[in-house]
Order: sequence, then structure tokens, then C-alpha cells
Amino acid sequence: MSRNEITITIDGVECRTYEGEYVLNAARANGIFIPAICYLTRCSPTLACRLCLVEADGKRAYACNTKAKDGMQIVTQSEEIMEERRAIMEVYDVNHPLQCGVCDQHGECELQNYTLELEVDSQRFAIADTKRETKNWSSVLHYDAGLCIVCERCVTVCKDMIGDSALKTGPRGGAAVDKSYKQSAPKDAYAMWNKLQKSIIVPSNGTEYTNCSDCGECTAVCPVGALTERDFVYKANPWELREVPATCTHCSSGCQIFYETRFDSIDNTEEKIFRVKNEWNYVSLCGAGRFAYDFENRDVKRDATALKAAVEAIKGADTIRFGSMVSNEEALMLQRLKEKFGMKLYNPEARAFQKFLDAYAHASGHSLYPNDFREIMRECDFVISVGSKLRNDNPNARYVFNNIQKINKGAGFYFHPVGDRLVPTFGRSVECFEHRPGDEEAALYLILDLFADRKKLPKGVLNYLDTFHEKRKKTVKEKVMKEVVEKLLDKETGEEKEVKKKVPQMVEKEIEYEHNLLVERLGGDAENFDEIFAKMMKKKESFALIAGEDLFFHPHYENIAKLIALIEKSCSMKVVMTPPKSNSLGVALICELDDECEGYTIGYNAPGDFRLSALGDGDLDMPAMNQQEGTFVTMNKQVVPTNAALEYGGYELNDIMNELGMGRELTIEWTQELPVEKGFQCVKFDEMPNYYLNDGTEKRGYRLATIKRRASRSNPKKLDDSIVISEGDIAYRCNPPRQFSDFTDKAHQIFEKFALRASPERAQELGERVEVLFDGASIVLDVEADDRMSGDIVEIPDFKSGEDVISLFGESRYSKVTIKRV
Amino acid sequence: MDGYIIGTIIKAILVLAIISALAGFGTYIERKVLAFMQRRYGPMHVGPYGLLQIAADGIKLFTKEDFIPSGANRLIFMFAPIITAATAFIALAAVPLLPEFKLFGMTVRAIVADLNIGILFILGMMAAGLYGPLLAGMAQRNKWGLIGAARTAVQFLSYEVVTGLSMLAPIMIVGSLSLIDFNNYQSGGMGEWLIWKQPLAFILFLIAGFAETNRTPFDLLEHEAEIVAGYATEYSGMRWGMFFIGEYANMITIGFIAAIVFLGGFNSWGFLPGGLAIVLKVSLFFFLMLWVRASWPHVRPDQMMWLCWKVLMPLAVINVTLTGLWMMV
Amino acid sequence: MSLEEFKDRNIGTQNYRMLDLGESPKSGMEKFKQVVERSVKLELFTGLKVTFREMYKALFKKNMHTVKYPFEKMPIAPRYRAIHQMKRLLESGHYRCIGCGLCEKICIANCIRIDTRYDENQRKEVSEYTINFGRCIFCGYCAEVCPELAIVHGGRYETSSEQRASFSTLEDMLTPLEQLAEQSEFPGFGAISPNADENVKKTPLAY
Ligand code: SF4
Ligand code: SF4
Ligand code: SF4
Ligand code: SF4
Ligand code: SF4
Ligand code: FES
Repeated sequence: MSRNEITITIDGVECRTYEGEYVLNAARANGIFIPAICYLTRCSPTLACRLCLVEADGKRAYACNTKAKDGMQIVTQSEEIMEERRAIMEVYDVNHPLQCGVCDQHGECELQNYTLELEVDSQRFAIADTKRETKNWSSVLHYDAGLCIVCERCVTVCKDMIGDSALKTGPRGGAAVDKSYKQSAPKDAYAMWNKLQKSIIVPSNGTEYTNCSDCGECTAVCPVGALTERDFVYKANPWELREVPATCTHCSSGCQIFYETRFDSIDNTEEKIFRVKNEWNYVSLCGAGRFAYDFENRDVKRDATALKAAVEAIKGADTIRFGSMVSNEEALMLQRLKEKFGMKLYNPEARAFQKFLDAYAHASGHSLYPNDFREIMRECDFVISVGSKLRNDNPNARYVFNNIQKINKGAGFYFHPVGDRLVPTFGRSVECFEHRPGDEEAALYLILDLFADRKKLPKGVLNYLDTFHEKRKKTVKEKVMKEVVEKLLDKETGEEKEVKKKVPQMVEKEIEYEHNLLVERLGGDAENFDEIFAKMMKKKESFALIAGEDLFFHPHYENIAKLIALIEKSCSMKVVMTPPKSNSLGVALICELDDECEGYTIGYNAPGDFRLSALGDGDLDMPAMNQQEGTFVTMNKQVVPTNAALEYGGYELNDIMNELGMGRELTIEWTQELPVEKGFQCVKFDEMPNYYLNDGTEKRGYRLATIKRRASRSNPKKLDDSIVISEGDIAYRCNPPRQFSDFTDKAHQIFEKFALRASPERAQELGERVEVLFDGASIVLDVEADDRMSGDIVEIPDFKSGEDVISLFGESRYSKVTIKRV
Repeated sequence: MDGYIIGTIIKAILVLAIISALAGFGTYIERKVLAFMQRRYGPMHVGPYGLLQIAADGIKLFTKEDFIPSGANRLIFMFAPIITAATAFIALAAVPLLPEFKLFGMTVRAIVADLNIGILFILGMMAAGLYGPLLAGMAQRNKWGLIGAARTAVQFLSYEVVTGLSMLAPIMIVGSLSLIDFNNYQSGGMGEWLIWKQPLAFILFLIAGFAETNRTPFDLLEHEAEIVAGYATEYSGMRWGMFFIGEYANMITIGFIAAIVFLGGFNSWGFLPGGLAIVLKVSLFFFLMLWVRASWPHVRPDQMMWLCWKVLMPLAVINVTLTGLWMMV
Repeated sequence: MSLEEFKDRNIGTQNYRMLDLGESPKSGMEKFKQVVERSVKLELFTGLKVTFREMYKALFKKNMHTVKYPFEKMPIAPRYRAIHQMKRLLESGHYRCIGCGLCEKICIANCIRIDTRYDENQRKEVSEYTINFGRCIFCGYCAEVCPELAIVHGGRYETSSEQRASFSTLEDMLTPLEQLAEQSEFPGFGAISPNADENVKKTPLAY
């Protein structure tokens, strides 16, 4: 997608923007206000509200779906436009309950704001009201249809951004608008009113419940109080809440969020987080970010004895094992401890990623993947995901994948052994390959085969790729229409009826085609792949590869790194990676990690002999991430700050450092000491911004620098079948969506259990509770059916650090296991 | 001789008891009079017409914590109020309070000690009384106290001069320092009252009396609007009460002196017997002090000093001179 | 006498009169003259006269200012802002407060707190409402802002008690159900007392 700069004129002001950008976005980026309710940046325009009416080169147009052309003249206000807008707001206000006083949106309601802004001071329209029910759609969603203005923002965001498409408009059963208004009401207002009278929002699966990912993004975008978080309903008023800009630290997306805090209640005046908000035009949260906010370590007092014990323990420790939810500053402190006392640092996820990054740097010549997710979401129209369980791993990788399908009219390949029923619904041009675990290299070879500029490929690789192509014959079927008579049972009357119908019939034909063995190997439809791929490639200009966690935990990770480096070089493809856990990237850059954990172990939010823990169950309490300041490295390679939302009364890691004579006065003084040679900058914490500009520009911390080095030139190895797991029970280490760690688990609005998850069919077979036997170890788990999974592979979560599931799996995310019913 | 000593002791005790009771009663009167002048009721709930308020206040003063600031000079701090109270009562020893009367066949002279230098003694005693506020203010380690002490020194010393000079003229005329002699000098009825011969001296004495007793408009020692409570800032309970009693005793003393020296003393006045007459006269002075307090504002310290040295003192000197000339002629 | 002039409380249009005080003396001579003048005119005695006159009135005409509180109480103006009351709906007896939190927001002393919750009837229930009377400055903003006329100021100005908390919860402030019939509306800011005319008097400025 091209980004040519052009100039348009809005209300006489010259504005720079890009060709193909919507006028509304151009205006916003230039600080010009155009009223708009239904449009969501990064989503498709729905034209539900029609408030954004403007005059473009003299003609009526809607700013949210009019693309800017060079030299365009836009007028945002005229008598006619203002009359339309006012009438629209009046229509919205018809029968809208007068209950702002109790409403949860009161004070930040767009209906209130626009009603005032457009100076609605009287009401011309009237119609009989319809009773609309209040419903709870899921464990977190609360829908008050009475307040809904059917702007469809919730529908849009769920489809275009989240990918669940769990909502749609449904019948309202309202009275028809009196025809006489056709004359008196302006055109758009009348049309909009007609539509409004007909619809409300319902779950799109036809039931009462959304059965969705429970991300809560729809509640965030709702301009009124119609769609809210169940837990927040009538609990507090928005304006009482103190907004704390922060960063969500549950996964490596590192979304910018606002914690909203207030005293708990009259009886308990302690500050508490009431909800999480986000800049939904520019960031989309997942369910963990939005609902798992109350993971703070409560009621901690300074316990000097415990601190002494911790200091002694550290002096005598052989290993420090730590979770990935640590800030860069804490990681740096741990690294300093290692330098001084020589203990091992153990963090298996970050270690795997570190090794992978090393191999990648070795092969590609730069320390970090070259692109970021925001960039590919904006620019790419063909996206490939390898080694990510998109629905579970990194929510933003999934949103990007989905958004590219929806907004950029894109296509996508999804390579993953675990079958998924949601990903294929992201778009019509999504091709899923359910390959065997361990065969990710084949996927990368296929990418090389399909996308590489053959001139840029080394000879050896070229020849190797050619071995996968064969000429074969196939029979194709052609459609012919034929008339048949069918017997139908009328459900109401119970009678049988005869119906004539035209039914297509297939006629077989044999043709020759090029058979791609790689496609076959990966479980694709090799026979028809050519046509499918040709269709997908139509009008595609920009390509992206998302490399997921499976690749870092692959026995041949070095080879995979080489392949990715080669793809990057030869395919003009943007490459991004999803760091496995919260701050794995930061830890991988800052700490010298070790491969094993032995001897006397300090566990920091991880298992160990002496435990420092922010979960309230350790030998010394530590602050949780919503109680301390610090920086994180996001998967967009951005070093971003987060602030403390809640008070913390105990000791933090820096206090231990101080006891050891190595501390700073404040934890954030470590920020400027982060290693510059790894790409960090010497920037003070307090100088880091954390916000978005009106045009969506991210002003958050700083970007990590990529360090260049000499690339090695060795060719990737050939495929090796020995590491591919092809039969037997297979377990996959994977968390349910919204669960990332003990911290999400602690939150009261996250309900996903620590259980073995399987497709409904497989779950049926397994029964209620099973024992999973690994090499020399086992774990007993409840079985949960996940109706969005398919296939036989089962998922075992690792979010409870105490269970140490990661050690069960060892170096890979897949494991051959034996599953026994218990 | 023994009888004389016993009599004197009895008299001393009686004077002490009665005058301190009167001082207490004086506070009641003061509050009532001030209240009426502002059309209020004043104390009215404890006892009939609020009369027992004095008792209530007394109990309060006695039971209050006796507070001594940590940085104070304890000894002096504790001693200072006693000086004020003691000097006030000692001064009263030389004042003939009533005419002679007969009790159980004995002639009683209502004076504890008829000194031949009575006036000098009284003035001296009252001058010694200045050590009370002065030491109190200096001992309590409080800046307001210190300012109060400074003002004490300045005010009392200055007005001492005026008091003395204004008394000098009557003394010259009477030719004695004994108050009994003064009284006898005026025994010839109203026409012989010294006020007619010495009106200026009377006015000067009155003004100086206000200053000596620390009353409005000259109550700068403890001017609450400026220096909290001046020398009494840190005092509480009975110690503060002693300052109070001293002040009221002084008021009564001044009243007696004025009555005896200028207004005919305890000579019977028309149909009024001498005893009643002097009580009436003293009451009049007492009332005047309250009345003035209700009516007039305070003066500034500089105005007060200006009044003393530039107005009152020259007038007094002139008065003495004129009196002397008049006597020589 | 017409009271029009007194009812007009627009300060800007009142007719103030400057007292003719003259210059204060500067040189010593002038000061001396002033003293002599004043002494001769016996100005000081005017003061004595005034106080004596008042005492005469007090003693012989029983013309006292004092209100013998607490035996005798003055009626307070309806707009007086004393301890708050929470009103009820007259028909249903349900409390009027809808938990909108406007009072909480506007409160200058930040002393109002409200607990609300989603109740069984899908309505916002005010589960508790408190005012910290240790902090309240009785500014009346809460009553002014309340859209439901739910929180108002009552007439209870005697607020000493062992526990301020004993009249600061929703239950304490709500009109008791059995007194619902007598519940009256708060006339609000700026309301004048019913007997305002009687109370208006000419300010005595005789001297
Ligand atoms: S949605 Fe907005 S307008 Fe409607 S009741 Fe709530 S705050 Fe008021
Ligand atoms: S629920 Fe909210 S976002 Fe969805 S259509 Fe209604 S008003 Fe719009
Ligand atoms: S919670 Fe998320 S997935 Fe569910 S309906 Fe809302 S936006 Fe869609
Ligand atoms: S302003 Fe009125 S209705 Fe709103 S919370 Fe306060 S008392 Fe209740
Ligand atoms: S009167 Fe003023 S200070 Fe008191 S609760 Fe109401 S708003 Fe707050
Ligand atoms: S914002 Fe353009 S139609 Fe709603």
C-alpha cells in the first residue's frame, strides 16, 4: 500500500496527508474537528451515524469513508450540514432514557457531548418507545439495550480488530417511523432513524451469549453506557477515578493502558483499581489487559527480618530463577547480582528467545527483527504466521493478522499444528496449514519457495526447493446445473412437499498441474494450491511474516533463524517476532541467562528455595507491576514506561540491592543504566512519554536501536524428519486466552482455569480428568473443551509458575505424552 | 502591748480576707456592669443573679493545672504572682479603711498600722508591686511575656512620677504623710475637701491611678489584642488568680487613697455616717474604672508615654510650684 | 416606612456616605492643639454617656440584646445551611438519591462519599452515603448541584455530639418514613425567610 503525501484543504486550511487516507483521519491528524460517532480508526467505516457529513468538492460526502485525493476541497460546516447533524442528534435523543445520573458513561458520554456540541435544545421527533432488555452477554459483558444508539462500533471493533465477530445488529421490534417526518426531517436523519428503529445489538451466534474471547474491547469503544463491563456497572462514576497512564505487562504487546483507581468504598479507603481504559482508536487490549488489573500485592508491610533473610539467601544462592513479568530495571539488577556473586540466572522462556535472537543475529547481521507490528498492520496486505498459536499466544499478533484481512483486504497463511476454528474466519483468503509439530522449517521453506526472488537465493537452497516440485495429474470437477425434484418436510404442518430445485452437478476432468510436496507435507491442499495461491496473491503488494514462540522452542532453532534471515533477505517480506512472555525481549537483551537451574535457588515470581514474590505467597514480598515504576520492552521493540497505580508498603528489589550496597536511591534510576550496547538509550525514566498523538503516532518511551554485525553465510540445513512428531498423543504448552501468568490468574475477572484444553470431540474422549505422562514426570489435570479448537493435540497451560509446566516440556513447546483418564 | 499585736494580727487577717473577697466580688461587679453597658445580662446562671459565679470561678482557679513552661525560670516564675498580691495587700496596711468604732467596748481603729509616713509607704509598696509583672514576664520565656514585662517597667516607672508629684501638693497643704491626718484635715464637711483646693492634682492622680492599676485605657501590660496576655501569658490557675486579686486590691487601694486624700475620707458626709460615706466613695471610684473600661479604647504605648512625660508630668510640676507659691503668699 | 430600599441587596447601588473625619494632625503643635481641643470639648465624656445610657436602658427598660440560648432559640432562616437531610420520594417513600455522584464531585471539602452497586432489579442502589461532618464547610454546593433535590440542608445546627458519625450516614439523614407526610422541600439558596420583612431594621448609626 502506497503512502504518497498529498495536500487537501479543509475549511481553508491546507493539510498534509497520505493518498487514500480517509478525510476524517486527515482532519484529525491536522487538529480539525469533525463530529463522528461510528468511525473507529483502524476499522472499516460503517456509515451508521452519518454525523461526519461534509462537503467534498461541493458534494455531500461522509468524512469517515471518503478517501483523500490531492487538491480536495473540504467544507466541514454549512447550514445544511449543521441542520443534518443537529437532527441526527435529536433522533439519537428520541426515547433515550433520561438517566445520565446513574449511567456509567455519564461525563464521558459521546451522546451527551455531541448533544451539547451540536446545540440540541429542543426535540421535534417522537415515537412510541420499545421495551429493550438489559442482558449479560458473558461473564464480563453487560448490555443495556435501552441506552444503545446502534452506532455499531462494538460490532465493528469485534469484527475488524478482534476477529471474533461475536456481535451483529438484530431486530429491535420498534414502531415504524411516521411517514410525515419524511418531509420535516432532513434526509440523513430520517434514514438513520428508520434504521435505528429497526435494530439493536445481539450476539451473532444466535444465542443469548457471545461466547467470545471476552476481550472487552466492545465495552471500551461504546460511546454511551450501553455496553459496559459487568463488574463496573454502577460501582463508581467515571469522574471519580484517577487515571494512571501505564503499560499492560501481561504479555509482550505492552499495550498502553490507563488504570483507573479510586478509594475502595466508604468502609475501606484504600486505593483500588476499578477498571482499565485504553486509547481504543490506537491500541486494542485483550481480556487480560482489560480485566486482569487487580493483581497487586495487597497489605504488605516492611518486614526487616524477611529482608535480611533474602539478602543472606542471595549471597548464598547458586541460581536466581525469575518470571518474565519483570521490568528492565529489575532485570538489570539481577544481572548486576550475577556479575557480583556469580550465580546463575534462569528464565527458560527468555533464554530460548535469547538463543534464537543470537542465532538470528548471526545469520542476518542485525540484532533485532527489522519491523514492528504497527507497521505491518498499517502497510501489509499479506501476512504469514508461523509458530504462533494466534488465538492464545499474543493477542496483538492476532489482531494484526485479523485486521490485515479485514481492512487491508489482505490474505494470510496460518501455519500451526493445533487446529483452530476461529482463525479461518478472519478472512476469506486465510489459508490454514495444520502441519505436524516440529515441521516449522518446512513452512519456512514453503515461504521461500513461494515468495523468494530466486535470484537472491543461494544455489544450494534453490536446488533444494526444486526437489519439492513434481508434475502431476489431477481430476478437476466442473459445475453443471441440473434440475432435480426434492421432497421437503414442512415443519409447521408436518406435510411433505415436493420442490423443484436447480442443483449444480460436477463433471470430472483430468489436467496436469505442478504438485508442491511442501504443501502436501504441511497438510495443505497440494492439488488446488496453485489456484488458491494465485487468488490470494491478487493485488498484493506488501508481505509480512510473524515468527512465533514455537520457533524459539524448536530443536532446530538455529536453522530456523537462518531460514528467517534468508526470507528477510530474499523475499522483500517484513519480519516480526512475538517474544514469548511479558518482557522476554528486555530480559534477553539485559541478562546473561543460563541454561539450567541448579543448587540453592532464589525464585523471583518463580519456583525456588527462597521465594521473592509479588503474589503474596513468598518469603519476601515484592511489588506487583501495577505497584511499581519501570520500563518494558514491547514486541514493537519500544522501551516503554509504566507507572505505579497503587501504593505498596513493602520492600522492592532495589532495597535488597541497597542492603548489598549496590542499590540506587530509586528503582527508576536504573533506567538510564540499561545497556546501550544492546540498543537501549541513556534516557531518564521521567523523560519518557507515554501517550498517542491525534493522528495515532505513538509517543511512548523510545525505540530500541538495532545493532549491526557481520552476517554469516552458511546455508540452512535440509529438513529433518526425525524431529517431527507424527503420531501418538501430543501435548502443546499453551495458555488459554486471557491467561498469561499467575498474575492474570489472581485477577477476579479472569475465569479461565488451569486445565487441559482440547477440542470438544477430543475432550469427550478424554473424560473429565486425566493424567498426562511426560518422560519421567506427570501432571493431573481437569479437561476443558475449547469449542474453537480442532484436531487431537491437547493444550496444557503454563501460567501457574508453581506447576512448572515449562520444565515438563523442556526445550520444546510440543511433547509426546501419554494421557490416562483418572 | 500583747493586745496590740493580737489586734493587729486580727486586723491584718480581716483586711486580707475581706479585701480578697471584695476583689472576687469586684470581678463579678465588673462583668455585670460591662454587660449592662452593652445591654447584656452578664453572669446569671450560677446562683441568684449569677452571684455564685465568683465561687465557681474560684473553684476553677484552684483546681486548674498549675502550669510552668519548660524554659521558664521556675523559682521566679512561681514567686512573681506572690509579689503582686503581697505588695497590694501590704500597701493596704497603712490605709485607714473606716472611722474608729467601738466593738465589745473596745475602740477599734480600722487601720492595720497607722504609720506617720502612710502615703509614702503606700506609694512605695505599690511601686514595689511592679516587680510582680516585671519578673513574671521575664521569667516565663515567652516573647509576649517579655514585651509585657518591658511595658510594665516603662509604664509603672513613668506613672510613679506623676502619682508622686500629684500627691505632693496635697501633702504640702496638709503637712503630713499620715492618711489619718489627711482625713482629719478635711473633717469640716464637704467644703473642706481637698479636691476643691487641688482639682488638678486630683485629675492627675486619677489618671495615674488608672495607669498604676493597669486598667483600660492603660492596660498595656496585658493588652490581649497585641500581646496575648502580656506578662500573664503563661500563667494559669491560682498563680494567675493572684495577679488578678492583686490588681483588684490595687484598684481598691487607689479608690481609698483618692477618697481619703481628695474627697474627705471617712468623715461623715451630711447625714451619712463616715463608714458608709467612704464605702460609697470607694465604690464610686471602682465604678468609674469599670465605666471607663466599657467606654474607652486603649491607647498606644507611645501615646501613653507622651501623655505621661509631656503632659501630665509638667502639669504636676506646675501644680506643685503654684501650690508652693500660694502657700508662701 | 417603605422597605424597598432595604430589600434591595444589590450592594453596588447602596448609598454609602463618607464620614467627614478631617485630616489627622501632623506636627507636634497640631497634635497638642488637638489634645487641648478634645479635652476642652470633653469628647471623652460622650463615650461615657453612651455606655451609661445603654446601661440605663438595660437596667430600667429591660431592653436587652441577649437571646437566652439554649432556653430561647431564634427561628433560623430557611436557607440556613445546617446538617444535611436526605429527602424521600413522596409517593413511594424511596430515597431520592440516584447515586449520580455530582454532590461528591462538587464537594469542596471532599467529604461526601457514596457507595453504589448494581442491585437485583438492575438498578443503581445507593448502598451507603456519608458526609464527613468533621470536614464539611456547609457551603451548600451539594444541595445546589443535586438534580434530584435529594440532598438538602436541614435546620439542625446543634451538632455537638460524641460522634459526628452519628448523624452522617444515609439512614441518619433520610426523612424517617413515618414523617414522610411532613417532609418539606428545601427552598434553596437565596431564599429569604418568611418573616424577612420583620427582621429588616434600620442599622443604628446614631453616633
Ligand atoms: S448513555 Fe450517555 S446520554 Fe445516555 S444516560 Fe448514559 S450518560 Fe446519559
Ligand atoms: S452497544 Fe454501544 S457501541 Fe454497540 S452499537 Fe450500541 S451504542 Fe454502539
Ligand atoms: S468482548 Fe471482545 S470478542 Fe467479545 S464481543 Fe466484545 S469485542 Fe468481541
Ligand atoms: S447529587 Fe443528589 S442524586 Fe446525585 S448522588 Fe448526590 S444526593 Fe444523590
Ligand atoms: S455543604 Fe459543601 S462541604 Fe459540605 S458536603 Fe456539601 S458540598 Fe461538601
Ligand atoms: S463517523 Fe462517518 S458515518 Fe459515523
